[in-house]
Amino acid sequence: MNTLVKATDVQKVYTTGGVAFEALKGVSLAIEEGCFWAIMGHSGSGKSTLLHLIGGLDQPTAGSVRVNEHDLTTMNETELAKFRRKHIGFIFQFFNLVDNLSVRANVELPALLANSRNRSQIRTRSDRLLERLGIDRHADKHPWELSGGEQQRVAIARALINAPTLLLADEPTGNLDSNSGERVLRILQECHESGQTILMVTHDPLAAAEAKRVLFLHDGEFVGALPGGDPEPIAKRMTELK
Amino acid sequence: MQAIWQKVKADILTRPLISLLVFVTVATSSMLLTLALATLTNLNAPYDRSFEELNAAHLWLYFDRSFVQQRDVERIEALPIVAQSTGLRYNAMSQVRIHGSRTWVSLRALPEETPEVNRLLIIEGQRPRSREDELLVSKDLDDLYEVPIGGSIGIAKADGEEILLPVVGLAYNAMWDTYRSDQPPYVYVSLDTLQSLYPDESSWGWSVGLRLTDPDGVEDALAQIEQLLHEDAVESHTDWRDVRRSAIFGARLNFIFLGAFSFFTILATILVVASSIGSIVLSQYRQIGILKAIGFTQRQVLWLYVGQYLLLSFIGAPIGLLGGVLLSPLPLKNVAASLSTTFRPPIEPHLIAIVLTVPPGVVLLSTLSAAVRGAKLPIIQAIATGAEAPEENDSWLGRTISRLGLPIVLTLGVNEILANALRSLMTGVNLTLGVLGIVFGLTLNGTLDVYRQNPSLLGIVHDAQVTRQRTGDLQTCHLLERAPGVDAFYSELRLEAEIPEERAFTVRAVDGDLHAFPFHISEGRMLRPNTNEAIAGRGLLNWLDLSVGDEVTLVLEDRETHPIVFKIVGQYPEPANMGQMMMVSWPAIDRWVQGLEPRTYLLQLTPDHDPERLKAFLEPGRDPDLNLTFLENAFPDDVVYLQMAIFGLSVILIGIALINVFNTTLLAMQEKMRTIGILKTIGMTPLQVLGMFTMAAGFLGFLATLLGLPLGISFTKGLLTVLSSHFGFGEVVVNIHPLYAFLLVPLMIGVSILGSLIPGRWATRVSIVDVLRSE
Repeated sequence: MNTLVKATDVQKVYTTGGVAFEALKGVSLAIEEGCFWAIMGHSGSGKSTLLHLIGGLDQPTAGSVRVNEHDLTTMNETELAKFRRKHIGFIFQFFNLVDNLSVRANVELPALLANSRNRSQIRTRSDRLLERLGIDRHADKHPWELSGGEQQRVAIARALINAPTLLLADEPTGNLDSNSGERVLRILQECHESGQTILMVTHDPLAAAEAKRVLFLHDGEFVGALPGGDPEPIAKRMTELK
Repeated sequence: MQAIWQKVKADILTRPLISLLVFVTVATSSMLLTLALATLTNLNAPYDRSFEELNAAHLWLYFDRSFVQQRDVERIEALPIVAQSTGLRYNAMSQVRIHGSRTWVSLRALPEETPEVNRLLIIEGQRPRSREDELLVSKDLDDLYEVPIGGSIGIAKADGEEILLPVVGLAYNAMWDTYRSDQPPYVYVSLDTLQSLYPDESSWGWSVGLRLTDPDGVEDALAQIEQLLHEDAVESHTDWRDVRRSAIFGARLNFIFLGAFSFFTILATILVVASSIGSIVLSQYRQIGILKAIGFTQRQVLWLYVGQYLLLSFIGAPIGLLGGVLLSPLPLKNVAASLSTTFRPPIEPHLIAIVLTVPPGVVLLSTLSAAVRGAKLPIIQAIATGAEAPEENDSWLGRTISRLGLPIVLTLGVNEILANALRSLMTGVNLTLGVLGIVFGLTLNGTLDVYRQNPSLLGIVHDAQVTRQRTGDLQTCHLLERAPGVDAFYSELRLEAEIPEERAFTVRAVDGDLHAFPFHISEGRMLRPNTNEAIAGRGLLNWLDLSVGDEVTLVLEDRETHPIVFKIVGQYPEPANMGQMMMVSWPAIDRWVQGLEPRTYLLQLTPDHDPERLKAFLEPGRDPDLNLTFLENAFPDDVVYLQMAIFGLSVILIGIALINVFNTTLLAMQEKMRTIGILKTIGMTPLQVLGMFTMAAGFLGFLATLLGLPLGISFTKGLLTVLSSHFGFGEVVVNIHPLYAFLLVPLMIGVSILGSLIPGRWATRVSIVDVLRSE
């Protein structure tokens, strides 16, 4: 299998009010195509920071991040935007949908930003995604008219519209009730089964157990890994990290 | 209260951009308000101000020397109704040559010291020094001939010899007027110079200016003076009230145009403050929610915002006032000079009070209205959504744009405009005002072009004018018939006319090839020669309450024994004397007004005429008797100056619109931080982010132009029609050059894009991670 993501000696330092905080202390990571991995850690462990760096939302202080043979550390803002558009799909804890656009318009937005000329193709793709995720009847509604679970499914559809190389999910169930959370995880599992590479950040052992491999991040460093499937050892490991 | 004060201080100091925005908005608005009010102040009663400042005379008497002695003047000055006198003033009629044209002037000796009564307003340069042969010319001579101040003009001495004298200044005399009397323009010299040019003092004219104890007692004073003197001693007089009426009429053009623009500026100023402050508060709904969550009451929230913005506006308003006071002389000294008055700095208590209270007042109201809405929002909703109200829909316009296949960033931008409809409306109105101002200027320009190309619409039907002195009327007509390049001509004699109620005005008695001239008759028809038919200006018809078809009985040149009945058959655009003139046929009345002959001849020239050849023919030799003047510009300089003022003010309005677009975009950017972060996350490039903001602003500019163009044309038409009715012209032919109107669209879109460019660029730098981390 090809290595899709390769992060090498990645360091990230935030400076707030003259005080430096090292969020990542030289971590390295390699993710192969078609994997479904999860990163676990407590608040402030650096898991979201790592996700942001892999997604090209931020630049590391030191080290390199390569995704699908693209060195993100050498790209400018515009190149990164185009990279995200083409290769990355994001799913967030708080959905981050655009309130004044309909469900369908939200889903189509990344595709239209990439190429607004093939509107009929985009419409076909979005309709198919909405149907697949069970939200086609809400296509003309606005995000605020939907439940949290439905909004997250809209966010997943939006993330998948450009058929990204890598799906990044940051606490995708963190803001959902258990039923909705389970449904979102099922969808992610289905995506994975169809060949989608997924990297998920979570502190929920049940969610992490859906992944094939779980990495543990503590104070900006990887401190071990476990196979997915069974939430118990994952929860135990998390307790040990406290 | 302590908590509120702490929070007010913290908000002002820790959010410098917002504080600066409020401060700059209030300071700029206060400065513009000061300038607008200063313009209105300087437009207010300019004649009355000059009159008082110059201690002008209420009554000026021009004597017939053969019936008056020095002691008669002293007896007049001793009358109880006379408060002050200028003392006897001397003058001689002379001719001056300016830029090749000769004209008659009244050469008037100035007293050595600046007089107490009827001082002159020196507009430019200085008074002539005693024992120096220098000239101070009147503003009216300058209006007609553009006298070179600092240069020299030729002046005829008593023996006919012409000498060149330097012009050292330009002055305004508050008692010079041609409305009711026939006065040549004045040129002032020292008594020494008058003596050297016209040594025979018996040829001098005498006059005296009087200030009366009762300014409205002019008739009474005249009656008392006529009782003292020989009945023919007072040749003519000038009543200060006539001059005042004439001056007010002359200033009306300035007043209407500049007044309208001052009004626009004030309106735009208020709009800028209201929209900016309201939007700033709107952008802080999330903070309002948090404050309420930690225990602030609605009243405390209101105090918090009112407190901080009022504090900033109380700092900004005086600074803006100071800026306005310092800047005001730049544009307004010219305005004052055009109105023949002194510049009045904007330091009057009522003006200061308005500037210091109106912008903070608007700040108070707009803060209150936005903060009350914010304070009423449910806490959770305020915290969760801020000003991005969850009920916002994607607009029909956005959907239409999307269906048309236009860029997605335009759809997003238009949605943003319509999502904040009130704020966008205020910015749109502001932009529309800018468009309206430019359209006003352009339409005025286009309309003036129409009148320039066809001056007959203004009642000006001739190409050149000839005046004569010694040459007889017949000989002059004979010369004009043979003159090269003269197609047709008619003579004109101005006669004093009076109706039974003793209301006096001037009649143009004309004779010649009238049919060859393009007289523009607004109503009725042209008079027929050799009949008692007349055509009249709108001003005269209004004044005497007459209509076309009416008859009027006139006493011409005091021939009371032979009143003449005229039938008014038409109305024409009379350009002089507020339209209060009448035109009659000279051959029909010359037998009743014997001893008078025309001295002015109006010419129509052939298209291929040679001006030099014609001048050489009519003005041969060194001291010709005939004087030829070509009509080069039918418009006074004031009109050109006003056009410049209008365009200047348009620029100010556009500047205000630019600031408002900047404010709106900046606030939209601040409100939309989260959305920008999301859009960037899903792949919006910096250029697309910039495009979203600039396209939204450009679209607003486009809408403003669509609205402002027809509004501006209608407004100009309305205003010019009002003016036209005052001047006695017919309907105004309003015109705007289509190319200029077309170019206005890209201009306004460009201005709007320019205003949004900087905040748009700031938006491209929004850090996605910061936005995501703030959740």
